Amino acid sequence: MQQFVSVVFNSLLAAGLYATMAYGLAVIYGVMRIINLAHAGVMMLGAYVTFALFTRFSLDPFLGLVVVAPLFFVFGVVLYRLFGKRMAGSGTAPSIESLLLLFGVWLVLQNAAYVVWTGDTQSILTSYTMKSIKIAGVRVGVVSVFVFLASLISLVFLNVLLTRTYLGKAIRAVTQNRDAARLSGVNADRISAIAFGLGTAFAGIAGAMFSTLMAFTPDFGRSFLLKAFCIIVLGGMESVTGVATGALVLALLENGLAAYTTVPTSLQDAVSFALLFVALVALPRGLPGLLARFERRSTR
Amino acid sequence: MKVFRSVLWTAPALFVLAAPSFLDRGTLNDLWSLAFAVTLASAWNLLGGFAGQVSLGYSAFLGIGAYTTVLLSLRGFDPFLTLPLGAIIAAIFSVAIGLPAFRLRGPYFTIATIGVGEAVRVCAASVSFTGGSSGIRMPAGSFDFNRNYLSMVILAILTVALAAYVKRSAFGRALAAIKQDIDAAEALGVNSTRFKLAAHALSAAVVAVAGSLYAINFQYIAPGSVFDFQLSLSIVLMPIIGGVGSVVGPVLGALIVSTLQIKLLSMPVLRDSFLFIYGGLLIFVMLYEPKGLVGIGRRLWALGAATFRSKGGIVDAA
Amino acid sequence: MHASRSWRVLFQAAFLLLFVTISARAQDSEIRIGAVLPLTGKESKIGGAFKAATELAVKEVNDAGGVDVHGRKMKIDLRLLDDTSDAAKSAQLVEQLIVQQKVHAVIGGYGSQLVQAQSVVPERYGIPFISGGAGASAIYGRSKWVFGTLSPVENLAQTQMEFLTDLVKTGKLKAPLKISLLRENTEHGKDFEKGVSDFVRAHPKQYSIVLDESFELYAPDFKPLLGRVEAARGDIFMCDAHLEDYIAMHRTYTQMGLYHQMVTYGARGADEAGRKGLGAATDYIFASGWWSELLPYPQVKAFSAKWKAATGNAPQWYHACAYETVRALVTALHKAGSLEPEAIRNALASIELKDSILPGGVLKFSKTGEAMLPFVVTQNKPEGKLDLVWPKADRTGDPVAPIPR
Repeated sequence: MQQFVSVVFNSLLAAGLYATMAYGLAVIYGVMRIINLAHAGVMMLGAYVTFALFTRFSLDPFLGLVVVAPLFFVFGVVLYRLFGKRMAGSGTAPSIESLLLLFGVWLVLQNAAYVVWTGDTQSILTSYTMKSIKIAGVRVGVVSVFVFLASLISLVFLNVLLTRTYLGKAIRAVTQNRDAARLSGVNADRISAIAFGLGTAFAGIAGAMFSTLMAFTPDFGRSFLLKAFCIIVLGGMESVTGVATGALVLALLENGLAAYTTVPTSLQDAVSFALLFVALVALPRGLPGLLARFERRSTR
Repeated sequence: MKVFRSVLWTAPALFVLAAPSFLDRGTLNDLWSLAFAVTLASAWNLLGGFAGQVSLGYSAFLGIGAYTTVLLSLRGFDPFLTLPLGAIIAAIFSVAIGLPAFRLRGPYFTIATIGVGEAVRVCAASVSFTGGSSGIRMPAGSFDFNRNYLSMVILAILTVALAAYVKRSAFGRALAAIKQDIDAAEALGVNSTRFKLAAHALSAAVVAVAGSLYAINFQYIAPGSVFDFQLSLSIVLMPIIGGVGSVVGPVLGALIVSTLQIKLLSMPVLRDSFLFIYGGLLIFVMLYEPKGLVGIGRRLWALGAATFRSKGGIVDAA
Repeated sequence: MHASRSWRVLFQAAFLLLFVTISARAQDSEIRIGAVLPLTGKESKIGGAFKAATELAVKEVNDAGGVDVHGRKMKIDLRLLDDTSDAAKSAQLVEQLIVQQKVHAVIGGYGSQLVQAQSVVPERYGIPFISGGAGASAIYGRSKWVFGTLSPVENLAQTQMEFLTDLVKTGKLKAPLKISLLRENTEHGKDFEKGVSDFVRAHPKQYSIVLDESFELYAPDFKPLLGRVEAARGDIFMCDAHLEDYIAMHRTYTQMGLYHQMVTYGARGADEAGRKGLGAATDYIFASGWWSELLPYPQVKAFSAKWKAATGNAPQWYHACAYETVRALVTALHKAGSLEPEAIRNALASIELKDSILPGGVLKFSKTGEAMLPFVVTQNKPEGKLDLVWPKADRTGDPVAPIPR
């Protein structure tokens, strides 16, 4: 029983971070129908900026989020203004050009990081990094709890934004049907800029949080990109709860596999990829889509 | 015009074939790598450029060819006899992936291919009969550089010729229709899935043969080198920069990316700027000319022709 | 007409012959040594370090007038190329050095995969090849031309087991001991695992392995894996990992409150970056490596002083190994008394460097061409201190076992 609690608890903690990371990708896709391959590069940058703030100004990495989030939002808007007009896919079909253009941006970001910080491994060690506390009988690192709380706050903020503000409604409208939204008077271009900013901000936040947990180099981010894809494919890209669900399912799978089976951990990645593949093919609108299908049937 | 074109193609081909007799080993090595790049870029282009289905998982096919050759050679087969087998296995694998994956459109297909490529690499590194993460070696024996060089160059030439042939054929036209508007093509009776599978299988087979030649030339392979995601990326990068959808585009792209690598190495200042340059090129191409260098070339050509015409030229503007 | 023509031909032939003999002599006034290292790309950090150490060693030799080959003093012409951490390129460059630049010997690169790719080339042309940058045993024993100054990684693991056995003998630990063994999914990890499991199989009454897992590099979350470690309840924790994974994993280990009587991360532990990222959690971790500045030999002190004077920094194991590789080659050249490949090769196979800076103090190559030298084991002590705890004779401090809770 204790093991079950620990699996669920650890999955929850991991899911918070995964969801934040995935949401950055989801919002950009939802509004602009672009798959942002620069996401990994932005996360890496988020980690390094947090690191710079920590070493130069002794700013606690979690407090630093207050700086990182708006900074990256602005960065995202700037990126959109530079490249965005060219990137927006026509109608509902995402374009390959945008995919590759953002991949180019990722490469540039990586090189910039190498130049500024060199390829040396860096990490952030605070006074509480190595401490742990016991919750519900499970011993967890204090940092993991902070990360979870920070993710929770960001996602709640996002949910409120999306459901209670005009801006949020506009974003959802554009996500559902770009042309119809424009007909209703929504400035799709401005919404796209904001969405890109939001997505970049979330990637930066996710990167900042990863920096508190692990050591990193400019190569960092690649393995997470695939996980993020997995999550948004599983959870659908249309709502915060969808992404959170996808994140939770992935985290549960990872922790569950390790705890209850003897599948070697080295093959875990292959399992996630296989899951991604299956989900892409069988669940075009993710799990929510699957649920919606069941819902529809039951109301007949 | 046609004569000019065929000379443009055959002259370098003949030069490259005759090279071993007058070029030094360093340059021949570079030419081998160039031929390798041209083969991969042109083969990828069959599906990615002609049919517009961008796959980021081609290193899987390279690895299949390489591993088939080494594993069979270790059991006594003549390495060159293993080439067709590697190609067939890769083609079958491509169909197995394609059947579910081709139901996805655009970037979703791309993401699926990333997943497959990585899954194959992880499996190859974890399974023992492939030697696991430490890789495997060809049996000690005949290493004949001239033979390796010629076979790679011939493969490159054949691949480009294949691309040219496909482009002009009905098969190629169907692929172009699929690329432009898959629904319209279907409505006109083109079985898009079957054509996509065919293009995928064909290009997978060629890439596998290139993988086999790689194994024969380097005699040591490991999952890290043949199943690498970076490799999949560079396979895509070359035709994109040069110009997808054309025959000469991938060749140009391969040339540029290969020479860039060589030139960058000789300039210490630029040595660490690989990624800047690749990334910058990619951004530039996508922003201004998604059709790559070929597109730029065509635009310049059209511009030149237009100015030529407006200035009177041969035909009087009167 | 014909007569003068044939005189001209004869004259030209004679001139050509003279030219050839002169240039042939001119060719052999210097020893051409090739080296292919990763100066850019993934392995560039240590690749660059190897370059610096190799160049220092060569400069030292040349400053002293060169190598004495059969009475003649010949300087070394070092031709060093960058393989950008790409295995295929690495092999191609070695071939180029041999075929085109006609080097007399090749110094191998750094990184098991790169050196593996390089090592298939020397056999083809019969040129001696010596590497100070790869400990994978799969590289050696296949060709009589391939030598390596790094002892196999399996021996690294074996040394750690010997160290543990000594701890049992001196009463610090109590047998039987259960081992939780983790490794990264690379060549290095595989060899490490083999070393440990071979030793355990030879000493079944003292050791057993309760967990044996491999993991992918740069995993985002080690909790699932460490959950298995926790469930296995081992006494000793042995893990072979890269620097980033070591930091991430040990953080999670500490946060989860895991405990083992002895903890090691293979060759990691004494790293500066590790101390920076883990703080006091690195205390008492033991690590083994190919060299340590703490070795109490006079030649090691001399080397450290030399290195500090030249670069301003303390030497690391890779500097020492690269330096010693050049020394071994130079010694072999002297012993061979000629530049014939076969002679150099035979000399390498039979040299015995009695003032080696490597552990054990003596460098010689085994039948497989790989040097079988003892490893050093260091243990982190509180307040950032480091002690050499193995080989026993060279100890600078007592090992602490079990780790205090």
